[in-house]
Amino acid sequence: MTDMTIPARATLGTAGGLALVALTEIAGAAFLRQFLLVDDWRAVVGLLALFAGALVAMQRLPVIEANIEQAFGANRRFAMLFGTAIVLAFPFVLQNSSYALHLLIIAQLYAVLALALNFQLGSANIPNFATGASYGIGAYASALLALNWDVSFWLALPASAVVATIFGFLLGIPSMRTRDSYLALVTIAFGVVVHQLLNNLEFTGGPNGLVGIPAPELFGHSFASPLVIFGHSLPSQANFYYLSALLVGVSILFAGRLHHSRIGLAWNALRADELAARCQGINATWYKVLAFAVDAFLAGFAGTIYAFYVGFISPDNFTFLVSVTIMTMVIAGGMDNTLGVIVGAFLLTLLPEKLRAFSDYRILFFGITVIAFLMIRPQGIFPQRLRRYGG
Amino acid sequence: MTEQLLQQILNWITLGSIYALIAVGFSLLFGVLNIIHFSHGDVALMAPFLALALVQTFATAIGAAASPGVMLLAVALAIALTGLLGVLLDFVVIQRFRNAPAMMALVATVALGIVLRDLIRHLFPNGSNPHAVPRLVQGSVDMLGVTVPAFNLVAIAVSGLCVSGLFYLLGSTRLGLHIKAVSQDRDAARLLSIAPGRIFRITFFIASAVGAIGGLFFAGYAGIVRFDFSVDVGLIGFSAAVVGGLGSMPGAIIGSLVIAGLDTLVQAVVPNGAAYRLVFVFLLVIGVLVFRPAGLFGRTVVEKV
Amino acid sequence: MNAPVTPESRALLEGKDLTMRFGGLVAMAEVDFSLRKGEVLGIIGPNGAGKSTLLNIITGLYVPSSGEVRLEGELLNGQPAHRIVAKGIARTFQSSRLFADLSVLDNVIIGRHTHMKTGIFDAIFNRRKAEAELDAAAELAERLLKAVSRELHAQRHRPAGELPQADRRRLEIARALASEPKVLLLDEPSSGMDDSDTDALMDDIRSVCAERPELALMIIEHDMRLIASLPQRVLVLDYGQKLAEGTYEEVRLIPRVQEAYLGRKGAQHAQA
Repeated sequence: MTDMTIPARATLGTAGGLALVALTEIAGAAFLRQFLLVDDWRAVVGLLALFAGALVAMQRLPVIEANIEQAFGANRRFAMLFGTAIVLAFPFVLQNSSYALHLLIIAQLYAVLALALNFQLGSANIPNFATGASYGIGAYASALLALNWDVSFWLALPASAVVATIFGFLLGIPSMRTRDSYLALVTIAFGVVVHQLLNNLEFTGGPNGLVGIPAPELFGHSFASPLVIFGHSLPSQANFYYLSALLVGVSILFAGRLHHSRIGLAWNALRADELAARCQGINATWYKVLAFAVDAFLAGFAGTIYAFYVGFISPDNFTFLVSVTIMTMVIAGGMDNTLGVIVGAFLLTLLPEKLRAFSDYRILFFGITVIAFLMIRPQGIFPQRLRRYGG
Repeated sequence: MTEQLLQQILNWITLGSIYALIAVGFSLLFGVLNIIHFSHGDVALMAPFLALALVQTFATAIGAAASPGVMLLAVALAIALTGLLGVLLDFVVIQRFRNAPAMMALVATVALGIVLRDLIRHLFPNGSNPHAVPRLVQGSVDMLGVTVPAFNLVAIAVSGLCVSGLFYLLGSTRLGLHIKAVSQDRDAARLLSIAPGRIFRITFFIASAVGAIGGLFFAGYAGIVRFDFSVDVGLIGFSAAVVGGLGSMPGAIIGSLVIAGLDTLVQAVVPNGAAYRLVFVFLLVIGVLVFRPAGLFGRTVVEKV
Repeated sequence: MNAPVTPESRALLEGKDLTMRFGGLVAMAEVDFSLRKGEVLGIIGPNGAGKSTLLNIITGLYVPSSGEVRLEGELLNGQPAHRIVAKGIARTFQSSRLFADLSVLDNVIIGRHTHMKTGIFDAIFNRRKAEAELDAAAELAERLLKAVSRELHAQRHRPAGELPQADRRRLEIARALASEPKVLLLDEPSSGMDDSDTDALMDDIRSVCAERPELALMIIEHDMRLIASLPQRVLVLDYGQKLAEGTYEEVRLIPRVQEAYLGRKGAQHAQA
């Protein structure tokens, strides 16, 4: 359920609002930077405690949250421009660490996948355990296009998203007749089938997968070479960092626009009560299939970037466990809350990497995280919010 | 040719019997608790690991290789422990979702399955590797000109016994009556001073213990077991229950035979079929769900408005 | 709109020989009914008489085993529920089924779903249009809420699940009206309400009708005060069959009706 704290009155003027937006974004970026660069596990735990402390403080003092929310609401354009600037500048403060950039890319791809799944799991309450499969379909489709027909990355990107979407539609068809557990079975089965096919078909390279996927090029600049900006050289990962950041941006845009439209409302209605939704004129089947398609579309994009980033893909990159990982991110972050889902994706990507001793237990950790959140805080770290109208 | 056919039929029935032991658990739990226990397959495949660990422990304790008697004891203990594991999972996790939206219980039990698998991987010695599973029953019998491993016959017989026992229990005993009462109307059952909580625990024990028997036979049949075999086993068991019609016991058995039949057929007829068996099984499941959502024997439930 | 020749002579909504079987169980047998523009029809009958079945058939949740439902002459059976709403039939539910985790306002806006057109491409690439449409719907929803109940309007930014029972019913009516229906079906609107809430509800329904003289209403009710004062005509169902039809004054005098319904229910009502 949504928290119903009466919004505390915002106490800031315009200048104060701008400052608060800037401060919040800088604080978030600084936190992420520390988290990426830190090595000592004790420091990681310390940072986590700081994060938890900040959340608790917000819960205890709704005035802070209300002010931040108000400031962002009043200065949306500034928040967006400033945020974009931070994202653009971010690689320059990472001490040229290609590892930190690599983690960021993976985290951003997972953020896209989590946002994709959120359309179903968060908005419409459809259990989909096949996002990992759509991710894989996108990756394989683009890699095959590039390897067999020399299709450039920039063409393969939309093409593979279309392929993934078509499969998403197909997967969505059984949702016309089935719900909940049955539908979950269908999606799990779909994931397993895709994995088995990738593992056994000849043209997908079987268990060895596909190798030698060429790095993308843009205006003669290869994404495999270091990125030089204003005489400052960034590791080659920076290319993909910017690319995946762009995709995250697009996904956020998608999420926001769909949420604030008739479609988002229809999904929410289906989540709350499917039968009542149908009696408001909502074509349940269409909106469910649509959710599957949107999920697959974004996952397909993410898959393509992944394939061209690592240059080598195999079926094991796209197992059922990947789907469960994505689901964990959505549930822990906060269903139907864009910010929450992204935070969930970053936290759950970075944590196992940062707590090395722990990374072997990553799967166990994900499983327990999901169960714990469902039992203790089903709304996730950032609960869903009610819509506001008229500015 | 006929020999081969008979051999395949035997494989089919054996496999179907083993699947049935798992599928009835799905159906029973769904019928009584109205939830899909997605980790049921993982619970079932806990049994062979428990049995292996127990055999090892006993062997170390007596300082000699385990005799068949000791192995049988280990197996019996493993079945009981697995039954208790089911009860424990319900107590710790699943019961919290009794009145929650279906999706929450669903995701929670999927996660539970992952946790169980990973626990085996981390706690069992060499947990990531496959482990050889000896068959308790060796030897073979000649029937109709075919050499039939005694193991298969025992698997079929035990499965038949278990299933008949379940039918008897549900159909002709006081406990069965109580289980039916609870499955139809919890509140009404409470008025008749039947405690639903107790019935749920018993149901979990029965389903998990029967599943454990299925898991043990599955491991014995394959000759080896690995921590993640339970993914396929769980999916197949659930699929069988769905194909037959969730909540229907005869449906679960027929569903198991149908799926085992398809499985056997694909492996025998399609080149490299073993690699694709799940593809065919799931296509069947999806087909059934699309054209007959309630399964072959399930009744369509009209939502109350 | 293609107006019928004489609005009074032709039924807006009519059902003929409606029969509904679930397996061997006959929930409804050969029931006829008709509803004219601006008319209020009450439906009474004991529990299990088939009242809700009738509503579910009209709204497309059930497909009748035989018989037909027509709205302005157009055959409705077999059409999915969401399309029937678009044609102008809206309903409420006996156990109010609101979208509990959405705001009161969102609930009403969703009621306007059939009047909005934003598709996936508009939502993503034509934000201005999509937002304008949604804002217009929000404005309309606010006005509707205000008209139905000022109290409810004051709570428009609260989650619907937090509303008290009487306000939930009002919200359900507002949500149903948002689709600008020709026919509004109310399934036991007063259930779970005390007498004063029911009085308020009756006033609300009267004002809804006064503002929309063309709107036809079908009300399933147990509360005899409501049935006595609101509907022009009453249809009595028992065991899935039509027992009687007429004004409340006529119907209440029929012995079989008293026996089948009023006797039992009347006694219960007196106690309540």
